[in-house]
Order: sequence, then structure tokens, then C-alpha cells
Amino acid sequence: MFGGVFGGGSQKPAQSAPMGGMPGMGQGQGQMDPNAQLAAAEQEMEMVTDMFARLGELCNKKCILQRYSDEDLTKAESVCIDRCVAKYFQVNREVSDKLAKLSQANQ
Amino acid sequence: MSNPFTRMPSQDERAAATKVTDSCAFKAGFSGIAGYGIGLMFGLVLSGIEFSSPVDTTASTKQQIKTVIKDMGNKSLSSAKNFAIMAAIYSGSECMIESYRAKNDIYNSIGAGCITGGTLAAKTGPRGMAAGCAGFAAFSAGIDWYMHKDD
Repeated sequence: MFGGVFGGGSQKPAQSAPMGGMPGMGQGQGQMDPNAQLAAAEQEMEMVTDMFARLGELCNKKCILQRYSDEDLTKAESVCIDRCVAKYFQVNREVSDKLAKLSQANQ
Repeated sequence: MSNPFTRMPSQDERAAATKVTDSCAFKAGFSGIAGYGIGLMFGLVLSGIEFSSPVDTTASTKQQIKTVIKDMGNKSLSSAKNFAIMAAIYSGSECMIESYRAKNDIYNSIGAGCITGGTLAAKTGPRGMAAGCAGFAAFSAGIDWYMHKDD
């Protein structure tokens, strides 16, 4: 099930946990049907938007101080945001690798 | 080629400039220069308050004035150098501690104060270093608390 999401067509996952985590997968190159291509692009766009929203909310909650004394980010906050984004992508990658392995083991 | 002094900087240029000015090395260097300036003023004031070395009273007035002014200048330069080193160490270490912890609270100042006090008192042995660390850390914690108490 998880391996076939990108190649699979217009199936929209109910609970979208972002797969892979890297924007712009470019998996739709091999598709001939323009409708399928459009659907895949839509799905990818939705996933990227969802990932963006989650990432923004998570790193905002974790890193941004409640003390709004200055409009610029402090050094601590910008370092924290860099690390937060890197960790998020790393976690996504590892989770999707594990799921791929599990699904392969199940087959 | 458009004139870089009269055009608005582009987004990339501004981002690159921000990256430089937010780096720890730049902050330390800038604080060092500012510390040098403040140290000059402070040294000048201090040399007026302190008892100066005895002046040769047989020389002419102009000579005496020249000697005193040279002495004031030397004291002020040495004080400026000390202030510059202190400010650079404090600013650099605070920036590094903050980058490492990824938190913005008072403990960054305390740690930076301890490092600065300890480094400046390095010649007086471990006890002197501990005392310098504690003293400077308390001082910088107080200043930091005062500066941020209304946030």
C-alpha cells in the first residue's frame, strides 16, 4: 500500500502522513495519461502543503519564544529552526524507509 | 553594471549580509571594536581620577603638561585594550553558548560571564579563576536581568 502511493493514481490517503518528506519528488515522469499526471501532481501538491503546514506549526511551537521583544529572530531561534527542519526531514525519511521495509516483509 | 552604492540591495545580497552579521565571529569582532572605544573613554576618565605618577616639577609647564597627557594616553590605551579583549571574549562565548543550546535565556549570559571572568583571571591560578568566573557571571547575570526585565 505505501509503496504504491506515488505511482498509484488518484487515490487520496485519508490521514496524510507525509511520505519521504522531500518536496518535488518528480515521480510522475513515467506516466503517460495526462489525467493521471494531473492527479499525481495534485496529490503531491497537497502533500507538500500539508508537510509545510505541519513543519511550520511544529517548529513554531518548539522554537519561537513567547517573549516578543524584537521582530528579528534571535540566534537561538534561527539555530533551533534549522535543526527542527533538518530533524523533521530526517525523521520522515527514516519512517518511510521503515514502512517500506515492513511492507516488503509483509508481501 | 549598476552602482552598488546607489541601488537597493537585492534579496540575496541582504540575506548574505544578514548571514555575516549574525555570525559569532562578526559579533565578537564588532564587540571588540566597540569595547575598545568604550575603554578609551573609560581609561581617560580613570586616569583623571587615579593618582598619577610624580611629574618632574623642574621641567617647564608645557613639558609637564606633555608628560601628563602622554601618561593619560598610555593608561587609556591599555584600558581600551583590556576592555576590547573582555568584550570580544564575552560576546563570542555568549554567541557560541546560545548557538549550542538553541535557547535564549539568562543562562547564556551566566556562562559567558564565567568564561570571560575565568579567562581574564587566568594568571592568578585556579582559585582566582573560580572567583573571577563567579564574580563576572553574577555581574553579567544582573545586567542581563535588568535589560530584559520589562520584556
